[in-house]
Amino acid sequence: MRTIDDITRPLDYLPPAAQILSPIIRNWADNEVIPYRRQFDEDWEDHTLIHPPGKKLLGEYGIQKLLFPVDLGGMGFGESDYAFTSMFILGEEMARADSGLAVGLGVTLWPLMSIALKPHVNRRLLEEFAPLYCNTTEMISGALCMTEPQGGADIENVELLKGSTIQTTAVRDGDEWVINGHKLWPSNTGGMADLLVVVCTTNPGSRDPADVTLIFVPGDLPGVTQSGPYEKAGMACDKNGDVWLENVRVPLWYRAHGPGKDALFFLDIISIASGVTISFTSGMMMNVYERLLEFVNETKLHGRPLKENDAVAGVLADYTATLEVIRIVGYQAARMLDRSDLYGERWSPEMMAKMRSYRYFTMDRCLDVMGKVMNLMEAYGADRDRDIEKHWRDIKMNQLWLGGKQLCQIEAARWFFECETL
Amino acid sequence: MSDQDLFAYPRGRLHAADKDLAASLQAMVQKEVMDKRLELKEDYDGLLAPSLARLMAEVGLQKMFWPEKLGGEEHNEPEAAYTVAAALEQIGRADVGLAFLAAHSLALQAAVAAKGSCREELCAAVAPLFCEGNRPLIVSFVLPAMSQDGGAPEWRGKGIQVRAKSGPEGWTLSGKAVRPTCSGADAGLFGVLCAVDGEEPAFILVPGDSHGISREKEFLKTGLAASRNADLDFEGVKVPAANCAWRGEEGFLNLLSWFYLGLAAAGSGALLAVYEIIKEWGDNRVIKGRGQVFKENPLTAALMGEIAKEIAVDRLLAYNLADILSDPQAYGDDGPLAVFTSALMLVHHIYVSAEYTIHRTMELMASAGYAREWQLERYWRDLKTVQCYLGAYELAKHDFARRFYHTKTL
Repeated sequence: MRTIDDITRPLDYLPPAAQILSPIIRNWADNEVIPYRRQFDEDWEDHTLIHPPGKKLLGEYGIQKLLFPVDLGGMGFGESDYAFTSMFILGEEMARADSGLAVGLGVTLWPLMSIALKPHVNRRLLEEFAPLYCNTTEMISGALCMTEPQGGADIENVELLKGSTIQTTAVRDGDEWVINGHKLWPSNTGGMADLLVVVCTTNPGSRDPADVTLIFVPGDLPGVTQSGPYEKAGMACDKNGDVWLENVRVPLWYRAHGPGKDALFFLDIISIASGVTISFTSGMMMNVYERLLEFVNETKLHGRPLKENDAVAGVLADYTATLEVIRIVGYQAARMLDRSDLYGERWSPEMMAKMRSYRYFTMDRCLDVMGKVMNLMEAYGADRDRDIEKHWRDIKMNQLWLGGKQLCQIEAARWFFECETL
Repeated sequence: MSDQDLFAYPRGRLHAADKDLAASLQAMVQKEVMDKRLELKEDYDGLLAPSLARLMAEVGLQKMFWPEKLGGEEHNEPEAAYTVAAALEQIGRADVGLAFLAAHSLALQAAVAAKGSCREELCAAVAPLFCEGNRPLIVSFVLPAMSQDGGAPEWRGKGIQVRAKSGPEGWTLSGKAVRPTCSGADAGLFGVLCAVDGEEPAFILVPGDSHGISREKEFLKTGLAASRNADLDFEGVKVPAANCAWRGEEGFLNLLSWFYLGLAAAGSGALLAVYEIIKEWGDNRVIKGRGQVFKENPLTAALMGEIAKEIAVDRLLAYNLADILSDPQAYGDDGPLAVFTSALMLVHHIYVSAEYTIHRTMELMASAGYAREWQLERYWRDLKTVQCYLGAYELAKHDFARRFYHTKTL
């Protein structure tokens, strides 16, 4: 009997810890998430069912310590040559169970990447926040606050707009930053963010990258307000909401790096997110393969298993061919992020263009075949109990964040064709 | 000119009464469904059930085809296909699930009570369910489906879910874990295609309160909140002989053709709503920090143009199907199988296009595309659910091949 482990991944890219990491996460997924996930949609506000598996993985298993140095109580992945292939494995196994949970848990680590990944480690900030993440078995939620009401993905379009549309301000006042602004849609908000990284400007309207700032803001500071979560088509495990910052004060050294570097490393974490998002796609597709395999074995057409019909087999082949390619592309993207010595800096326009390309290409292909297998299952394709429709809803949402498809296209065209005005 | 009128359709083929009905439905669903969406979302009891009652019982869509002497409106000429299209398009614009339920009712009425083919005994038995009182009658179908029962009698490769036996007191129906097309939890009438040993299949109408029908718990699904669906068991369900609407394939193909017209119109209406959503977005969303609105950017404008093209073509196709049903002879009069095949092709084409179109629209709207507040995601879920219930496109292609290549073994 074929299983998801027969889907190819480049074995020579795998980290030494893969043999340990994969079974732990898969066991967690099979026992803590999959038996309960069909009820997650109705738990979007309260997270009564959603919180326990998150707490177990992040807090009790300690995945939230992943990026911190070992001497600060972490696992030291921030300085590993396998950081992103390891994260790919994590993302894939988590998303196989629930991509909303994968996003929520992954985003807890995401803002830390601006200070924890070599070569741009900010030791002082890591020391500051290590106790929050490492000295607890409770789940900690991190959030990266980018999007603003006036321009959606404009803030992520750094190469063209150079931070000129950012309206959240950071004003220096003695030894502190005073932050004011309004952010929309950050993952892990909706009332749950413990630590925010806020994209600000020190000079509204400026096109100087030195004015772009990434500032760490503890979620419980005076002046930080989170709305309740938005209601969405899926991804109930990932809460999104409004964040208002009113005269929020943090020390000057809560800035990630400094003039010019913050903008670069903001690009870095966008590039990383584009690549690692593919792990969610392949994870979801692997679970759909599992559920589809059951369906086409047990369901009959002309008195035979559905899979034995040639026309149906064509659709099934398209599905697994796509999954094979997406998984290989995803691991390739992760390896490219790991090996900047070979492929270039993660925050370079070239890597940004390539990560965006892989991301939107894989999403498009996935959505195409997932829509077809859902239809192939006829009335059962839309059943919550079959799980396919959940992944179909979630994968669409995966496609639309980080500026959506058009921004991916523009960034890809800009680099590959050396466009000057896009 | 209204936004809807930007999308051409053969308005000259609609009677004044059809246009009036469409206009009044447009106003009604705007006020009673669309304007309440943000507050009531997909609340069945607060929004969908009252709207269904209003449409089916008060406006009277469930009385449309039945003879006047039985309490109906006797609007049962073939041209009623245009009425069905115009009405369901407006309802689909507001809520695809409501249009989906109405499509069941109108298809059954058209197949059973059309002028010239209405059998008095059957109409007399069934029309009161539709015409008496002021409660909506929810109609559901039990159609052939892929199943786990490899030994089930087949219709075009799919298993017939219910078996029926004829006896002196009428029909006795049996079937386990039957999946209806809608509303298994609360339908008042099921139209069931039944296998009959050694004979042609029978299409039998089964009142929802018949003894022997047990309904499983409503299951959760992607969309179509108006349809509270649940699997059913038929255990020795008895109905009078007169409840057999027809034997053999011809009547069944006719029913399906009308059903597909309803679904095509519902899809077209939903796409008109999608247009309204993306138009508002394109008019107001500022991008690239230069005060440029979305519709003025060459990349996004091209996509918006493609979205409009898909919607325009789908609307024409939906009305073209109405034209085929209103006058089959004009299209060659090659019998019910030809009409059925055309209907199946058109409705699948519309739903493939609808999925493509909404995906492109969501991509333009990014997070707003999947936020419930913007409504777009509901049309996306609803239309995909209809497409699933319509059946596998890959298998529908075999119906096309049967017709155009005279295949014998598919």
